[in-house]
Amino acid sequence: MVTYDPDVTDDDQVFKALADPTRRHLLDRLFERDGRTLTELESELEMTRFGVMKHLRVLEDAGLVVTRRQGREKLHFLNLVPIRLIHDRWIDKYAERQVSALSELKTRLEGRR
Amino acid sequence: MTTTIAQTTQVYQVFIKASADQIWEAITKPEWTARYFHGARITVTPDHYDSRSADGDVWGDSAVEVFDPPRKLVHGWRSLYDPELAAEDESRVTWEIEEDESGVCLLTVTHDRLEGAPKTAVGVSGAGWTGVISALKTLLETGEPLYG
Repeated sequence: MVTYDPDVTDDDQVFKALADPTRRHLLDRLFERDGRTLTELESELEMTRFGVMKHLRVLEDAGLVVTRRQGREKLHFLNLVPIRLIHDRWIDKYAERQVSALSELKTRLEGRR
Repeated sequence: MTTTIAQTTQVYQVFIKASADQIWEAITKPEWTARYFHGARITVTPDHYDSRSADGDVWGDSAVEVFDPPRKLVHGWRSLYDPELAAEDESRVTWEIEEDESGVCLLTVTHDRLEGAPKTAVGVSGAGWTGVISALKTLLETGEPLYG
């Protein structure tokens, strides 16, 4: 079911989801290999099943994890699009400004000679 | 950073503030795809998926499995612009569009059957699909291409 809450921006949820070392660790595990069940993920982490479920839920709400039913199993896939959107919206913008500031400085310094 | 083998099933999902019909247009018509899909001019008909460069070189030429506008599109994927990629097995791309009452759609792109196409799997993963989907979202929501 599609649910979209316009009051909570996508960025808020992604930043919140990433602001936790356990969840970042879970994402790294899924980056290595995704399409995994809760049981598989749980076996690799020093955490209770409930803990893993709780963190997966936050990642899912942020759109960083997408689940698929396959027969009786629920598989967890990593969805990299929200991180890409953050990259395009935040990282690119500031990195670009820094680069242009540096090139401006270079031009100014060279012009002085 | 450890190297990783690209996944044989890759899932990409994003909310887009556009109607299902608009998204369908944007993924099946060349004048739209050219603005967010690495310049590829993609034409999708009920039985054929055709992707070309601006110069008319054939980049993709595959069968369409499911053509159900504006909900679901399934087509084959083989990258013909690179001989090494073209030699690999054909994989499959599924586009699913779910619209909610507020006119926002959840777009899910699944690229699977990549077992016989390891180089393609690496090529489309990471910056590949995320870049295309991010650019598609920006184009539909702002009317402007993300780059250029």
